Amino acid sequence: MSNKRKLKDCFYQTITYFAAFIAVATLSLIFLFVFINGYKLLDFGLLTNDYYATFYNGALEEGYSFSSTLKPDSLSEDVHYSEKWGLGLVDDKDREGNSIIIIEYVAEDSPLLLMYNKNSEEGIESIEFIEGQLISKIAYFDKGTSLTRTGAKVMISDLDSTETIREIVYSSLGGGIRGSIITTFYLIGITIAIALPIGIFTAIYLNEFAGKNKITNILRSLIEVLTGVPSIIFGLMGLAVFVPLTIKFTQADSANLISGSFTLAVILLPVIIRATEESLKIVPDSLRESSLALGANHTQTTFKVVLPSALPGILTATLLAIGRVIGESAALIFAIGTAVKDDISIFGKSTTLSVHIWSLMKDEPANIELASTIAIVILMIVLTLNIIIKLISKRFIRDLG
Amino acid sequence: MELVNKFSTKFAQIKKRNKKEHIDIVVRMFFLISTVISASFILIIIVFISMKGIIPFITDNNGIGSVNVIRFLTGSIWLSGTAFQSNLYSVGFIIINTLYIALLSLLISLPLGVLTALFIAKVAPKKLAEFLRTVVELLASIPSIVYGLFGSGVILVFVYNFADVLGIQSKGGNSVMATVLVLSLMTLPTITAISEVSIRSVGKDIEHGSLALGASKTQTNFKVILASAKSGIFASAILGIGRALGEATAVSLVAGNAKSGPTLAFFETTSTLTSTMLEGLKETTGIDYDIRFSVGIVLMVVIMLTNVILNYIKKKVGNVDVK
Repeated sequence: MSNKRKLKDCFYQTITYFAAFIAVATLSLIFLFVFINGYKLLDFGLLTNDYYATFYNGALEEGYSFSSTLKPDSLSEDVHYSEKWGLGLVDDKDREGNSIIIIEYVAEDSPLLLMYNKNSEEGIESIEFIEGQLISKIAYFDKGTSLTRTGAKVMISDLDSTETIREIVYSSLGGGIRGSIITTFYLIGITIAIALPIGIFTAIYLNEFAGKNKITNILRSLIEVLTGVPSIIFGLMGLAVFVPLTIKFTQADSANLISGSFTLAVILLPVIIRATEESLKIVPDSLRESSLALGANHTQTTFKVVLPSALPGILTATLLAIGRVIGESAALIFAIGTAVKDDISIFGKSTTLSVHIWSLMKDEPANIELASTIAIVILMIVLTLNIIIKLISKRFIRDLG
Repeated sequence: MELVNKFSTKFAQIKKRNKKEHIDIVVRMFFLISTVISASFILIIIVFISMKGIIPFITDNNGIGSVNVIRFLTGSIWLSGTAFQSNLYSVGFIIINTLYIALLSLLISLPLGVLTALFIAKVAPKKLAEFLRTVVELLASIPSIVYGLFGSGVILVFVYNFADVLGIQSKGGNSVMATVLVLSLMTLPTITAISEVSIRSVGKDIEHGSLALGASKTQTNFKVILASAKSGIFASAILGIGRALGEATAVSLVAGNAKSGPTLAFFETTSTLTSTMLEGLKETTGIDYDIRFSVGIVLMVVIMLTNVILNYIKKKVGNVDVK
C-alpha cells in the first residue's frame, strides 16, 4: 500500500469517527442542557401543584389573643420568627425566579389561624392559613404596608411592632404542572382507547383476511400515505373536523380533550397498524394451518391463535403510541389549544406537557427553566418506554426463535 | 314481490351455511369497516383542509375581497395592510424559505447521517456499534419540542455569539442558520437509521469482490458499499426532507418568523410554512383564520411535489440492486 493511499484511508476513517461522535455529542448536549436548566425546579411539588396561584385576602376579627409560642428549635437560622403572632417566614425564590416570602411555620395558638376571607360574598368564611403558602402583602391600620420586596425580616419586625392587622394577602405556590400532567394522561387513555381497536382490526384485516387484489393495495397505500403527513396538517384536520363535531355533539364549546384525542388517534393509526402487522407476520403459518385443520374457523383462529402470539407486538405498538402522544405538539396546538388549566374537564380546553413547553417558550421572556423541567419529565417517560420496548422485543424474538 | 322472494331465498341460503361461517362473514365485514375507516382519513384530511383553505380565494371574506391566487403564491410580504382588513396575503417567499431551509439542513444531515451509518454498520467494533445504535434510537425518540427547547436555549445563543464574532447583528440568534442546525439535528437520526439498514443489506459478495481486487477496507466502504446502498440512502434523504418540511414547533421557536422575504442570508430571521401557521392563533374567524388552511394546502402540495420529484430522481439514480 502506498503512503498516499494509507493517508487517504486514514482521513476517510477519521471522518466516519467524527460523524458518529456528533450523534453522541448531540444526545449528551441535549440531556446536559435540559438537566442543568431544569433540575433546580424538579421536586414533588412541581408535579402536584396548580399552575395558577389562588389568592386569599385574610382579615382578623376583634377579640383574638396573641400567641405565646417560642421559636421552635427545628426552625433554622434563616427563618424569621414573630413570637407575638406565632409566625415564621423565610425568603425564597419561585419557579420564575422572583423573590417570595414563604410561610415556614405557624404556631398552634397563632391568632392568624382565625382569619376569615375578606372578599367572600357569603358572609364570614374561614380560610386555610398553612405552611408552604406565600405572603405577598400585609397591610396595617397604623403604618405603611409591608410587601414581598422588603423581605421576611422587615415583615416580621413590622408585625412585632403592631397590635392589629388590616389585611394579609397570601396565596398558594403556583407554577406547578399538575393540570398538564393530568391532561396528558387523559389524552393517552382516550387516544389509545380509540386508536388501538381500529388499528389492530385494520392490521388483522390486511394481514389475515384481505385478498391479494387491487382494492387491498389501494387501502394499504392510503394508510401508508398517512405516515408522511406532517403533524401540523393533522392539527388542521382536527380543527376542521373534530373540533366542530365535538362542539356539536357534546357540551364542549371550543377545542377540547376529545377533539385532541381523535386527532392523535388518526396520527397513531399508521404506527399501530404497522407495528401490529409486523408482529402478525412473524406468527408462523403452520400455527394458522393447524388451527384451521382442527376445525376452527377463520375468526377463532385469528382471535385464539394468531392474536395471542402477536400480543407482544401489540404491546410494543401501544407503548410507541404512548410515546408519540407525550411528544406530540404541533397537532395539539390546534386540536386542544394552548391554554394551561388546573381544573381539567374532557370537554374543556387544557394542554399537554409538550404544548406547555411550547407556550412557555413562546412567552416573552421565555421561561427556559420550567420548560426544561417539563422536558426532564417527558424525557424520563420516553426513555423508560424505550427501554421497555427493547426488553419486550428482545423477549419476543427469543420466544419465537 | 319478486324482491321479497329473492331476499328470502338468499336468506335461506345464508341460513343453510353453518353458524361458524356466518360468524366469519360478520367478523370479516367488521374488520373491513375498520380498515376502510383507517384508509379514509387521508381523504378526509385532503377534502376538509382543501374545503376550508379555498374559502379565502372564492368568497369575498366579509367584504374584504377575495385573495388573488397568483399574488398569494408569488408575493414577498406575508400581509400587506392591517390584519382583519386586508386580503393581501402572500406565501411565495415562505415557500422559497421552506425549501431553502430544508435543502440546507439536508446538506448537513445527509453526509453526517450516512457517515454515522457507515461507521455503525462497517467500521465500529460490535460493542461500540450497539451503543451508537441505541444513541441514534434515543435521538429519534426525543420529541420535537425538546429539540426546539434545545434550539432556543443552546443553538440560538451559539448562533448569536457566532454572528457577533463575525460582526453581524442577529436578532437574538433567530435566523436561517439556527433553523437549519435544529432541523439537521432532528433529521439526523432518521437518515442514520435508514441508511444503516441499507448499508448492512449490501451483499457480502460485492464487498468481498472489492476486497479481493485489492481495494482496502476503507476504499471498499466508501466506493463500493456506499454506491451499492445508494437507493436506500436516497430513501432516507427523502424521509429526512419530508420531516424537515413538515416540522413545526421546533422551527417556530428558532426561525424568528420574518414577515417578508425570501431570506437567503444565514443570520437573518426567516419563516417557514409551518411556523407561519402557528403564528397569530388568537383569531378564530374570518380570513385571518381560514388563511391558515390555505397555507396548509400549500404545505401539502410542496411536500407532495418534493416527494414526487425526489422519487423520480431516485429511480434514475438508484439503479444498483439492493436486497
